[in-house]
Formats: sequence, C-alpha cells, structure tokens
Amino acid sequence: MYQLSTTTALLLMAAFYGLTFLLSLSIKQKKENVDGYMVSNNDVGFGISAASMTATWVWAASLYAAASSGYKYGLSGALHYGFWGALMILFIYPFGRRFRELAPRAHTLAEIMHGRHGRASQMILAGSNLLGSSISLMVNFTAAGALVAVLTPLSFIHGVLIAGGGVLAYTIWSGFRSSLLTDYAQLMAMVAAAVIIVPWIFFTLGGPRLFEEGLPQLTAEQASFWSKSAILEQGAPYFVAVLAYAIGNQTIAQRLFAVKEELIKPTFITATIGYGTIVIGLGMLGLIALLAGLEPMGGDLNNLIPQMAGTYLPPFVIGLFFIMIIGALSSTADSDLSALSSIVMTDIYGKNLARGRPNPKLMLWIGRLTMVVATLVAVIFASLKLDILSMLIFVGALWGAIVFPVITSLYWDRVTNTAFTSAVIVAFALFLVTRFELLSLQGAFAVLTELLASVGGGVVIGLMAFGFLGKVAGLTAGTVVGLVLIPFMVGFLRDYPVLLSSLVAYGASAIVTVAISLTSNKRFDFDQLAERIGAFQTGDAAPADANRDQPVVTNQGSNTKCPVSV
Amino acid sequence: MSSLGLTAYVLIWPAAAAVVMGVLTAGVVRDIRDARSNGKELV
Repeated sequence: MYQLSTTTALLLMAAFYGLTFLLSLSIKQKKENVDGYMVSNNDVGFGISAASMTATWVWAASLYAAASSGYKYGLSGALHYGFWGALMILFIYPFGRRFRELAPRAHTLAEIMHGRHGRASQMILAGSNLLGSSISLMVNFTAAGALVAVLTPLSFIHGVLIAGGGVLAYTIWSGFRSSLLTDYAQLMAMVAAAVIIVPWIFFTLGGPRLFEEGLPQLTAEQASFWSKSAILEQGAPYFVAVLAYAIGNQTIAQRLFAVKEELIKPTFITATIGYGTIVIGLGMLGLIALLAGLEPMGGDLNNLIPQMAGTYLPPFVIGLFFIMIIGALSSTADSDLSALSSIVMTDIYGKNLARGRPNPKLMLWIGRLTMVVATLVAVIFASLKLDILSMLIFVGALWGAIVFPVITSLYWDRVTNTAFTSAVIVAFALFLVTRFELLSLQGAFAVLTELLASVGGGVVIGLMAFGFLGKVAGLTAGTVVGLVLIPFMVGFLRDYPVLLSSLVAYGASAIVTVAISLTSNKRFDFDQLAERIGAFQTGDAAPADANRDQPVVTNQGSNTKCPVSV
Repeated sequence: MSSLGLTAYVLIWPAAAAVVMGVLTAGVVRDIRDARSNGKELV
C-alpha cells in the first residue's frame, strides 16, 4: 500500500491548517463581540449557512461508518447510514423554526430551557451537549491519528497533536465565526474528493464488470436492496436516533440561530441533500470493496477507506483524499470547539455563575479558555484510544430521553420543570436497564419494555408528523403507529436490545412528561422567552433586570405573573 | 437490476454531490456580494 512521505504529509497539513488560519484572520476583530463569537450576527446568508451545516454534519466517522455499512450490508448498506443521517438535518428544521421564533437571540438550546423551566432542565441539556461535543471532538482527533498512521510514516500521536493544534489555532480568536467561514473551503475539499475518488476507484476495479463478477459472491441479504439485517441492525436504530442527535447537538442549534430566519428551510434542505450525497457516495466505497473481495486491514472496517485510497489511487489523488479527511474532521472539530465554548459561556457562566449579568470581556476569555482545555482533554483521551462507541451509546440514549421533553416544552404550556427532569431521569434509567440487560429481557419485563418501545415508535413518528403537518396529524400518526406496532414488537424486539432500548427511552420520557404535566394547572407564557433570552453584549450592553432569568409562569385563570425559583 | 443500473446507483451520488457543490458555491458568491454591497460582515 502506498504511503505519503513524511515531508509531503507535513507539507499538506501545514498548507491546510495554514490557509485555514489565514482565512480566519480575515474576520478577526480587535474587540470580538461575545454574541458574534457564539452565533455570528443572526443574519448569515444561504450559501455560508448551508455549506457550514453540511460540513459540520459530515465528520470523519460518518465517512468511515458509511463505508463499513456498505461493506457489511452490501447494496443497501450505505443508504441505511447516509439516508437517515441526512434526514436528521431535515427533521429538525420545523422545530428549529419554532425555537428561533420563540427565542431569536438565543445562543444555545439549553439557554432556552433555562428560560422555559429553570436551571435543572437547562443543565441536563447543557451537560448532554457538553458530553456529546467532547466525545465528538475526541473522535475527530482519533480519526486524524488513525489517518496519519495508515497513510504516512508518522505516528498516531503525531496526527492527533497536529489536528488538535491546527483546529485550535484557527478557531480560538473568532470562535463560531471562524468555524462558519472555514467550513465552505473544507466542504469543497470533501466534495471534490468524493466526486473524483469514488468513480476513480470504481473504474480502476473494473467498472460495471465488478457487478457481474462480484454480485454472485454476495449473500442474498447483501445483494438485496431490502435486506432485513441492514434495516434492523443499521437503518432502524439510526432512524430512531434521527431526532435525538439533531436535538441534542449544539453545533446544529448554533447554525440555526446564526442563519437569516427566512432562510432556515432552504438551508436545512440543501444541507440534507449535501450530506446525503457525500456520505452515501463515499459509503459506496464499502460496496465496491465488498464486490472486489477486499479484506479490511487487520479486520478493522475503519481501515477500508484509507486502505482503498492507498491501494488504488495515484499519489496525487491520495494527497487529495488525505486533505478530504482532514477537512471533514477539522470542520466538525472546530464546530465542537465553538459549541463547547458557547455552552460554557452561556449556560455555565452567563446564566448561572454571572446570574444573567456577565462581563462580556471575561465571558470571551472563558470561551477561549474552554477551547484550550477541551482541545487538551480531547487530545489526551484520543491518545488513550478509549472505547468511543460505548460513550456514544450513553450520549445517544441521553439525547433520546430529552427529545420529547424538549420539543413539548416549547409547544405545550403545561410542561413543568419537574415533568422535564423526571422524564429524562426515568427514561435514561430504563434505557440503561434495557440496553445492558441489567434485568433479563424475558417474561413480564420484556413485554413491558416492548410496550414502552411501541409507544416510543409512535412518539418518533408522531413528532416527525407534528413537525411537518401539525398537531392533529402528529397525534393521529403517533397513536396509530404506536397501536399498530404493539403486536409486531411484543415477543420480537427483545432480540434487538439496541433498537429496543432507544425506543424505550422515547416511550418512557413521553409517558412521564405527559403524566406529570397533566397534574399541573399552571400555564407558561411563551412570549416571556424572547424577553428573557437576549444578547449578552448589545449597544447599550445593559442586561435586563435581575429577574430576567427567573422563569415566569401564570396561574390558570389568573393574570398574575409569578416568578418561580427552580 | 442490471450492471448498468447498479453502475448508475454507485455513480449518481458523486454526480449529485457535484451539483450540490455548484449550488453552494453560487450561494456563497451571492452571500459575499450581498455583504459587500450592504457594507456588512459576511459572518
């Protein structure tokens, strides 16, 4: 297998990070505005926003995982990864428009929860966001290490350190604005490589002849577009996670608050198509490898793409491929750094330590310090090569448990802080018990979890229908799907604990949220959100009164506003 | 499905990605032009 020389690899990375750094210097301001540092000017255009959304959502792991899925499940494999991943972006936009309408000057979704419920709900969401972005950062640096180790004579640690230093250098001064600006260039590197590499390898390995010779060697499931294994093991769990990953991801929320409000829809639709075409396209490399009878190096499917690049591409195109992966991981890593700094600036410092009256200068430095600490921690953990998959499972479950409480909190005025926190705790506990089979999935317990999972299935479909078609369609679709699923789920789903546990988290959180909320007679006034969530640094720079952070609820049947301390 | 159909299935994604690249590039050029003509910052 061909490897780039040390000099070439170092020059390529120096050129990539050097040019990106120079690009970020073009927007550097002497006195950076803290709101701009987190969400830009709330007025970003379509091209920059859509490119940034796509670049952020395509991370190194998604390229590797799509190819792994193509290799494992054959014809439908890449679709069952990329298609559902793309839909994550699409399904969030109707809810995103609501978030933006309620709190146009918000910086994080957790900040909106603070305005809606108070500290407990905010910190649950902020904590899950912090964990998720930290893991994502670590995964991206790990991918850099693995890429460098496979394609160059340099070591894994070299790759991790160069990526960590490079990303931090261009992101630290202007934060989210740097991330937005550099994403377009990084995305173009990814797209150009996908456009060149996939056809190149396909025709190098024989083109259409590959199907004539390779297809008969596949299993019946791999040769089918309707593989049951691909649907149940890859597609369905991913489909269930669609809303969870979109809601739980601060990187998406930031772009949602940055883009011009009227451009949210076209931006998200374009990013959906962009993500789908790039990821499914590169996932085809896994199918090509399967058809060609290629064995992944060391039995590790993550080696498939670098291995194919090193084996079948000429040196120049390998260099292009190298930059593509560095671009993919860097665009997500800079978004993670911006997300982490925004959460610490807004949710930990701004809303809690400073009680809504932050010092903008100090806030900015807290954001920058967060980036430095996050990079150091991610580099150290990436070097330890920890089991990232099990960490992702925890975060995914936590996000699955918060989807229903978060969405209903912003549409239904009866949802309370107690309902929100109880729902998340119960759902996450049930997820752990089910996913790791702490109680045996047999008998009455198995039936109970399958019934909860049926409710969860109804919740997922109901929320999606609600987002696009409204309340009646959502309630109808959710109820019908939940009821229809019961006879299929009971006695069957216990054999698929990954899917079962994810659906249990949705079902349990929905039941607890609704049950507790119905016991409350208080109503929340949504107009309060926009008043309570504003810019941290405006022209007059004066924070609103000290009570701006106190959630305000109105008692039903009374117009008296009552501040509630949580 | 025939080999030709499957070939199209493999190659349609990079082709579609190229179209998206064109749309995004046009969008970014428009964003830069608008920012310049309005005297605003791009991001």
